[in-house]
Amino acid sequence: MRIVIAEDDALLREGLALLLRAEGLDVVATAGTPAEFLTALDDHRPDVAIVDVRMPPTHTDEGIVAAVEARRRRPDLAVLVLSAYVEQSFATELLAGGAARLGYLLKERVGRVAEFLGALHRVAGGGTAIDPEVVAQLFARTRHDERLDRLSPREREVLALMAEGLGNTAIGERLVVTDGAVHKHIRSIFAKLDLPPDDAADRRVTAVLRYLDDVRSRA
Amino acid sequence: MRTWGGQRGVVARTAGATLLALEQLPGVLGTALLALGVLVLLLVAGLTSVVGVGLLAVPAVLRGVHAVADRERARLGRWGPELLSPGPPPERLRDAVAAPATRRELHWLAGHGTGVLLLAAIGVLLPVYAVRDLSFPAWWWLLPEGEPTDSLTFWVVEDWGDLYPVVLLGVGWTALIVVLVPHIARFVQGRGQRLLDTAPTADLSLRVAQLTATRAAALDAHAAELHRIERALHDGTQNRLVAVTVLLGAARRAAGRDPAAAEEILERAQSAAEQALAELRSVARGILPPVLADRGLAGALTGLAVSSAVPCTVDVDVDVPVRCAASVEATAYFLVAEALTNASRHSGAGRVAVSVRSRDGRLCVRVTDDGRGGATEGGGSGLVGIRRRVAAHDGTMTLSSPPGGPTTLTAELPCGS
Repeated sequence: MRIVIAEDDALLREGLALLLRAEGLDVVATAGTPAEFLTALDDHRPDVAIVDVRMPPTHTDEGIVAAVEARRRRPDLAVLVLSAYVEQSFATELLAGGAARLGYLLKERVGRVAEFLGALHRVAGGGTAIDPEVVAQLFARTRHDERLDRLSPREREVLALMAEGLGNTAIGERLVVTDGAVHKHIRSIFAKLDLPPDDAADRRVTAVLRYLDDVRSRA
Repeated sequence: MRTWGGQRGVVARTAGATLLALEQLPGVLGTALLALGVLVLLLVAGLTSVVGVGLLAVPAVLRGVHAVADRERARLGRWGPELLSPGPPPERLRDAVAAPATRRELHWLAGHGTGVLLLAAIGVLLPVYAVRDLSFPAWWWLLPEGEPTDSLTFWVVEDWGDLYPVVLLGVGWTALIVVLVPHIARFVQGRGQRLLDTAPTADLSLRVAQLTATRAAALDAHAAELHRIERALHDGTQNRLVAVTVLLGAARRAAGRDPAAAEEILERAQSAAEQALAELRSVARGILPPVLADRGLAGALTGLAVSSAVPCTVDVDVDVPVRCAASVEATAYFLVAEALTNASRHSGAGRVAVSVRSRDGRLCVRVTDDGRGGATEGGGSGLVGIRRRVAAHDGTMTLSSPPGGPTTLTAELPCGS
């Protein structure tokens, strides 16, 4: 897996590279600006790009813009966006082109190395990784929806993990239940939310996010 | 007796009014001469505008008109009610010409530089003639043969008998003074007050416009300040802390495999945590320097002076019990800090003097260095931010730094509460 890191903070950039290299991953280039990132994209043909949202010159959403541009140039590129804080519009902007090969995580998740590597591999493998904080915010904003109230507490947990982009096995591991039990919960969730069940991880997340987004815009 | 007393009263009043008017006229003559000068410049600029060049000079001349009008306002204010100045004309020529205040000033100028100048000249010459002709008998014989004449040079005085007409002429001048001069003074005063005072409503809308502008600036400065803090926290401190968690994560993963590498990564994590603390301190200090709260403005400024690279004296004369609003003191503090930094970095100064005064609820700060001058606010200097902060408090800041020095930075801030 060839990785490019776009992060303007030198210490953090080197820390990330150190962490990933120590895990035996191939960090082929690091970039401090969106322009450097796009150049590295052409020069090194990475499989995955880890991109910070806030980059020069204005330190607002240059990273998102660069990530969207990178995906436009290389539709097969997996992008994991790291953000200092959760901003719904960033997630929406990123997800506009589909949730496959896409991750949106808070920066500090990197410190939980096993989970971070899991998210990285998931994204590189065509899946999705959405930060629990993003999911929690979406849930918080859709609390009034009565269809969500129909879910049992366990089903809520499962839905939250689904929204993060976890697959059935990973969800089973997190909740310490069997695959079969997870499967049953998911069928039940889709039934209660009037969504047709689907096994592809990214489509599930897309469905969940779209559903929540729809509810939010109607609220 | 009453009639006599009444007559004495009339005489005293007339004499008083005449003397008062006489006192005013030299001032009128002064501003009238200035007005004539500006009027000529205006005509030249106006005529050359036809071929284009004059257009460039017109805004400057309009500022000149305003300056002369302000002088007259100040003069009128000494003899009557205070006149408020509408502020300098707008930068853009079209706006300046369209402004009612400018038009009124031009109207005033046209009369003041011509008719009023003539009246003032007469008013000033009359007493000179009166004194000359009335005192003529005392010194005519000192003049060379054939020279002694009255002020109008009608005839040559040859002997004492010829003096009567001259003295009579002097009496005539005096009568003219008593009749004319108070009228001239009153006319000039009335005309000035009519044309140069900003209308009460205009004054109010002017003030409202000014307040709106400063309030908008305050909100801008406030937003900019919040943005700066947010950035410092997100892009500085938080990144340091994220680096700490990343390095800790890496260290934990390495602990089993390679304890020596883990140790090295932990070392880096610790230094990242220390950097985070340092940045947090600097962010907090940028919001409100703790030293201000602990030691007050004088103590905080003394602290700055002690740590200044250029020898610095601090002279704070502020009523100690009357402390300014914390944000105002912080602004003064940052201004002095910035000035000291600039002085040590760019000016090559050998000495810096800081003085702080409080006057009528305003805090006046002045920083002077003896360096080479030529300081500007652009070029990444922190003064731009300081100016914004000062403006946000409805204060003013001026930077004077001619080439060769000295550089003086002054600011006046309403103390607020």
